[in-house]
Order: sequence, then C-alpha cells, then structure tokens
Amino acid sequence: MELLTNGIGLTAVVFLPIVSALVLIAIPKSQELLIKGFALISSIVTFVLSVLLLPQFDFSNADKLQLGNKITWIKSINANYEIGIDGISLPLLILSTFITVLAIIYSIEHLPEPKSPKGFLALILVLETGMNGTFVALDLILFFVFFEIVLLPMYFMIGIWGDKTVRSVAGFKNQIETRLYASIKFFVFTLFGSAFMLLGFLGLYYRGNKTFSIPELIELGTSGAFTGTFATLVFAVLFLGFAVKVPMWPLHTWLPDAHTAAPTVGSVLLAAILLKLGSYGFIRIAIPILPEQAKAWAPAIAILSAIGIIYGSLACLAQTDLKRLIAFSSVGHMGFVMLGIASLTPIGVNAAIIGMVAHGVITGLLFFLSGSMAHTYHTRDMGRLGGNMKLLPKTGALLGFTAMASLGLPGLAGFWGEFMALLGAFNPLDGLNVNIFRGSMVAGAIGTVLTAGYLLWMLQRVNLGEPSDEWNEMELHDADGYELAAWIPLVILTILIGVFPKLIFGATNDAVVSLLTKAFGG
Amino acid sequence: MILDLILPRKSKYYVAAFALFGTLASLAPLVIQWASYTSPLYAFENSYVVDKFSIILKGLFILITYLTFLLSINFIESDKYYQGEYYYLLLSSLLGALVVSSSRDLLTIFIGIELASTPMFLLSGWKKGDRKSNEGAIKFFLLGVLSASLILYGFSLLYGLTGKLVFSEISTYLLSNALGDSPVLLLSSILVISGIGFKISVVPFHSWAPDTYEGAPLPVTAYLSVSSKATGFVALIVLLTKVFETSGQSWGVILAIISGATMTLGNLVALQQSNPVRLLAYSSISQAGFIIAPLAAAGITGNYQDGIFASVTYLIIYAFMNLGAFLSIHLFSNFAGSDNFYDWGGVAKHSPLAGVLTTVFFFSLAGIPPLGGWFAKFVVFRSLLSTGEIVGISLAIIGAVNAVIALVYYARISKVIWMDELKNPEQEKTFEFQNPLKVVGALTVLVTFISGVFPGIFSYLGEVSSIFFGN
Repeated sequence: MELLTNGIGLTAVVFLPIVSALVLIAIPKSQELLIKGFALISSIVTFVLSVLLLPQFDFSNADKLQLGNKITWIKSINANYEIGIDGISLPLLILSTFITVLAIIYSIEHLPEPKSPKGFLALILVLETGMNGTFVALDLILFFVFFEIVLLPMYFMIGIWGDKTVRSVAGFKNQIETRLYASIKFFVFTLFGSAFMLLGFLGLYYRGNKTFSIPELIELGTSGAFTGTFATLVFAVLFLGFAVKVPMWPLHTWLPDAHTAAPTVGSVLLAAILLKLGSYGFIRIAIPILPEQAKAWAPAIAILSAIGIIYGSLACLAQTDLKRLIAFSSVGHMGFVMLGIASLTPIGVNAAIIGMVAHGVITGLLFFLSGSMAHTYHTRDMGRLGGNMKLLPKTGALLGFTAMASLGLPGLAGFWGEFMALLGAFNPLDGLNVNIFRGSMVAGAIGTVLTAGYLLWMLQRVNLGEPSDEWNEMELHDADGYELAAWIPLVILTILIGVFPKLIFGATNDAVVSLLTKAFGG
Repeated sequence: MILDLILPRKSKYYVAAFALFGTLASLAPLVIQWASYTSPLYAFENSYVVDKFSIILKGLFILITYLTFLLSINFIESDKYYQGEYYYLLLSSLLGALVVSSSRDLLTIFIGIELASTPMFLLSGWKKGDRKSNEGAIKFFLLGVLSASLILYGFSLLYGLTGKLVFSEISTYLLSNALGDSPVLLLSSILVISGIGFKISVVPFHSWAPDTYEGAPLPVTAYLSVSSKATGFVALIVLLTKVFETSGQSWGVILAIISGATMTLGNLVALQQSNPVRLLAYSSISQAGFIIAPLAAAGITGNYQDGIFASVTYLIIYAFMNLGAFLSIHLFSNFAGSDNFYDWGGVAKHSPLAGVLTTVFFFSLAGIPPLGGWFAKFVVFRSLLSTGEIVGISLAIIGAVNAVIALVYYARISKVIWMDELKNPEQEKTFEFQNPLKVVGALTVLVTFISGVFPGIFSYLGEVSSIFFGN
C-alpha cells in the first residue's frame, strides 16, 4: 500500500482520466462500444482508486495534509508539483470521481446531438483531471493550471453539444444560438477572474519568500507576513477569481446561461463540481493565507451571499424554464455555502463543505432529471409540462424526492448545509459585526422559505395535475436502466448524508477547526 | 565556429531538399558548440561572440526557417516559377538573423538586421499578379527603408558621442565619462527603438504589418511574423541591455507605454477581423506588446536577468505556436477556398486532426493552460510584478485585461470550425494534409504541449540570461 500513500495514488487519481482520454482519441470512431466501455471503465478505476485512498487516510490526523508528495516542477520559478489531501479536500475529491462515473453511465445511452461519443467522453475525462487536480494541488501555480484546465472541455461541451435554440441577446446584431453565446460567456467570465487571480498569486510569491507552496504561504500568512494595501489588493483579486467561479452575486450572470445551454451531463458536472472549485479556493487559499483580510471582507461576503440567496430564489420564482429554475437555485444554494464561509466559524465552514457536497449530489440529480425530461418531452417549459407523475412515474417520484432534498428537508442532505450556515451566521467569529451577520441570517432564513416556495410550485406545475392533451399522442419513455443506474446512487447518498452527516463532518471537522485556529487564534 | 553561418549560404542549390537538409545540418555545429561550451568565444575584436544566449537563439532561428521551408514546399511547387530564388532569399534572411544574435558591435548588428529584412521585401511581393501583394510589399519596403535610416541615425549619434563601435567599449566609455543621462544618448535610444519598432511592428509603427501579411504568400507571412519579429526583438534586447543600459529608466518608460498601447490596440482591432491572416497579424502585434513588456520592466528596475528570461521564453513559445496557427489557417483556407473564416463553418468535421491542432494553437496563443502560451504569459506577468513599481503593476493589469479580450477572437476560430453548421455538407472535396505539413504540425504541437506541461525546460534560460548579462 506504499504506492497509495507516497503520492503516486493521488497522482493516478488526477492523471488517469486524461491519459484515458488520450487513449480514447486513438480508438477508431467505428468502435463505439469499445469507446464507451473504455471511458466507463477508466472512470470507475479512478473512482475505485480514490476510494482505496480512504483506508490509507489517517482520520485522526485529518487536519494534516496527507498521501501527498512534492517534486520539483518548474525550477526557475520555484513552482513544485506539490499535492496532498486533508479532511477538507477528501470528500470533494471523492465526490468528483463519483459524479464523473455517473455522468459517463448516463452518457452511454443519452448522448446529446451531435452524438460523437468519442469527443464527448474524452472531454469529460479531461474535465475530471482538472477537477481532481484542483482539489489535491498544494502549489498555487499547479492549482492555477488545474483550475484553468476545466475551462476548455466545458467550453466545447456547451458549444458543441449544447442547446441549439436561437434567441436574441442584447449586444448582438443577429440572433444567436444559446449554446454559442453561453459557451463564450462562461469562458470569458471565468478567465477574467482567473487572470487577475494569477496576478494575486504572483503578488503573494514576491512578498512571501518566493514560494508558491500553499502550506508555506499559510505559515507566512498566519504569522502576519501580508499586510496593508498589498494584502487588500491581493485578497480583492483572489476574491474576483473565486467569486466568479462560485458564482456570487453579482458575478453570477454566466451561470444561468451556461447551465441552461449545457447538455445534461455538462450541467451536472458544472453544478456538482465546477462551482465548488471557487468556494474550495476560498477555504484552501484566500482565508488561511490572508486571515486578516478575510476578516475585513467577511461582512461584505455575507451581505453578497444574502443578496445571492434572496435574488436566486426570487429569480427562480420568475422562471418558466425548468432547467433555468434549477440553475438559479444554484445561485441561492451557493449563497448559503458562502454565508457559511463568511462566518469564519467552524460551524459555518463545516456547513459550507457539507453544503458543497450536498449541493453537488442534489442539484446534480436535479439536472439529470430535468435533462432527461427535456429529452422526453422536447420542452422545458413548465407551462406545458404537468401531470408528470402520471406520465413518467419513476422520474416524477425522483423529482419529488430531489426537490424535497433541495429545499432542505431535515433528514436529507440539503438540510445540514443550510441550517448550519444560518447557525454560523448567527454567531460569527469574534470581532465581526454581529448585526450584519444576523441580518444576513434573517435574509437567509427568508431565503429558505422562498426556496421551499419555488420548489413546491415547480413540483405543482410539473409533477402534479392532469397531463396536457398534447402528450396523448406521444410515446413517452420513463427512466431506463442507464438513467436509474446514474440516479439511484445519488438518491442513496442524499439519504445517507442526511441521516449520518458524520460521514462528511468526520473528515472535515478537525481540518476546519485547525485551519481556523491557525488563522484566527484559539 | 562560424560554420553555422557558412552552411546555409552554400545550400544555394535550387532544390527544396537541399535547403531543408542545409538548415538541419547547420544545427549540427550548434549542438557541438553547446556541448563543448566552456566560455564565450569572441572574434573580430569583440564584435562577434558565441555564447549560450546566441547559440539558443540561432537554434531557434534555424528551426523556424526549417519549419517555414516545410510549410513552403507544396506552396511553391504549386506555382512554377523562381523556386531557387525563394529558398535563397529565405536563407539570406536566416543568415541575417544568425548574425544579429551574435553581433556585438554597431556595424555588424546593422548589417545583420538589414540582411534579415531586405530579402523579405522581395518575398512579400512574391505573388506578382496580385494587387494586394504589391501594395503590401511597397508599404513594407518604404517603411523598412525608413526604419533602417532611423536605426542608422541613432547609431551615428552614438558613434558621434563615443567614437566607438563595439558595444563593450561604448558602455565602458559612457560609464567612465558619466554620459549615462546625456540627452544625445536618450535621443539615440529613441531612434533605435523606433527603427526596430517597425521590424517588430509595435504601435505606432505597426501599420504596414496587416497589409503586408495579407498580401504575402502564407509561408512568408508566417516567417515574417515569427522570425523577422524575433530578429528585431533580439536586436532590441542586445542593444538596450548592452549599449543603452545606463539610460534604462527613460527607455523603460517609453517601452512600457508602447507595450501597453500595442497590446490593447492590436487586440481591439483583431476583434473586428474576418480574414484569418489579418487576425493573426493583429494578434501578433498584440503579442509583441507582451514580449517587450518585460524589457520595459527590466529597464526601469535594472533587473535585466528576469526581463530577458521572460522575453526570450515568450519569444520561443510564441514562435512555435504562431507557426502552428499559420499552418492551421493554411490548411483550412485551402480546403474551404475562402479567406473569410466565417465561411469555415464546421470544417473541423472533415479533418478532426487539423481541427484539434487549430484548437491547440489558438488556445495556446490565448494563454490557456496546459498549453505553452500560459507559461509565456506567466513569466511576463512575473517579471512585471517583480518590479513592485506602479509602471510594472499597471502594465500587468493591462496585460491581464488584454489576455481576456484576446480569448474572444482566438476562441472564435475554434467556435466556427467546430460549432457552426457545415456550409455545404455534401462537399466531396477531400481534405489535403500533406506530409511536410504534418511534420510542421507535429513539431509545433509537441513544443506547445511540452513547454506548457514541463516549463521547467526553460529553466536553463534563466542561467543563460544571467551569463549573457554578466559579460
């Protein structure tokens, strides 16, 4: 088991997918079965590898970075291949490998137009390398590279396999297909954030003894190496980079477009993993390296999160498009995650991590369901849907269940993240303005009510009632084996995390407490 | 020692094969020089030097020329006349570039610069019957002559001030006579920067480039935008750091302004282009802004090592990815038979291989990891921020914004070839991807990937540039 602990195991989890993608490209197009089988097997192997890391991971020392390694990478700038995981990144890493497997299972039978499974599956695998890599990277430059690798596959996924509906967009002379507009918007927004983030990393490098190592920078940061205007500027650019990705209001506008336009699997991966890269960046990089700045910015982040929660739910209430509704619900849910982080307390940050995992599982499932329904009905317009329970009983039942989980029903995964984030905001870190946080908490609480409102309304419009006549003539197929194989695990996970949140907290708590103690003192 | 200079001259035989072989063979003495390198070798009373810096650049120039030949083979064969002259002119230009990287006195470097650019006047007008080609060539020629005279005037001022020709003697003279902030020196540096500014097409000396690029045969354009540019940069680096070192504060600011303007203007105009060659012309103007940015920072802080490292690293990565980009537009415009890339809808479906190559090169130019371009941009930002001064930081911010703007038009090509609908789906025409072009694609894509994933290979440049400056 030596191989798993000295960094090779983690490296394999990161690079196996991209190597498989290269192999996949070499397989001739005509061997469709082989292509699909190979992609599935390689994603399963990656997942199994990441699970095999669990017994090697020392949970009693979950606050320490483990199973990692450090090798020289770019000597001239002192950037290293430094990897490792602790209790914070472990659940996210496994979530990422797990969701990828489900995404590939779903894609076997349900490829969006134009089919071409080779390119699609290869892009998913490249994407997985970027996601896994971001969660294990402990060097700023390595982190940056992985953070950016996800852009290209997602850009092409949206642009080639995305929604072909033609619409007019402000600023464009001619009407443009949704996919084309959404893909470049996604790309430009994220790159804008990360270009500045890179400048921030370089700033840290020059003030911090010319190192890019995150653990070393945390040591420096907590001993007060970064202060004054410099620190404010660096935090500002890091904030920009991560907040676009999360996305926080008002930088969220790319998200509804990208989610709506992306093919089903694209939306699932985007919601389940890609958004987490931003909030993970706050927890891993911005807060521990610049604790004083984090404290100064926390109230602002809390307010923006509260606005995000309210805005997201109100926007949901105004949607007629099922997929767009779920997309906006992400803005709200990620608002809870950021509110938890902004409280800078163990409860809040733990809430953020479990919220991230729960949102990944639940919203991932919601996108699977809505994608499948859109495929069956050829529309996402909730005004035309209705009586789904009668037409597609399996899908309808799952939709009902997932909506309940998403609105934070106790006993299911979504509950812990929302509830504890509010708890964290009620009692933020000493020295933070209690009024602002309690105000945000109240806003968040109103948000939970609104969330319940729009999800129940959505259920009423889509699931309940009598089916409209237009579906009488059509042959509608309920969920098939591949779909159920992709969905049932998510349902189980939702219940498991809901009933035993310790599954996540067991790993995260020590790491979170130690991170915050280091940053803000006992 | 100067075998590498003589060999390409000898390969004046009028066959492509020999030119290819000659250029490759001339790499051999370079490798030997590198392997047996102990200390810089000087010749002709210190006016010609062989050090690691010049060996690397010569390697780069020879490789670029080799790739240009490969690009040209089918092109030149398709039009029957003047094969020999074509190769001869390109080789002469290569010789000029080689001289520039080694020359350490005013006369030699001037001869080198002119030797590198004069053949290009002829080559850019190669398509005789084409009005655009003639127009481009005339513009290029007139401005080229102007730029030569500016450089020469700058040199003559310098000679008048110091009475010396060799760089090392000039800088010693300037130091010992405390002429560091003499206005004549400043004027001379401005003239030299303007003169070379034409060669590297930075704003406001860029206006010839798009027309000339559009009119010239595509391989020539590729060579112009890569090798000619690199020659200009090398001359600029050598002159600024070896001769005008003492007035770095002043020319640093000038370069910083030029750099910011070049990045921004090049990018904004590139956004509007529908002709792929013009798009690459403006994009290469904008890239030039990135390449001189570290030099500006170096001038201001006096930390030449970081600046030269960043510029040269950028130059090398840029050379390969840009050649690759020219290869891709060559392939697609031939196939689609159109000079407007909006007509290329869905062409990648006819040749996924060429489609992937195109995607790689254009996103590398945009600086998306893990492709080489990100490291080039990264070292530039790194050297800009190392100054800790307002000029460097503002330039870095301008650069970051420009990197995002550039993405829009670089991504547009990929968008068109992959995502747009096929123009005529039942087109029977087969996609031509000749073997020599495949070699170009393979080499450039390899360099693009390796430099992005293992940028550590550039580490030696850091030492090299310190040695270069230590002399």
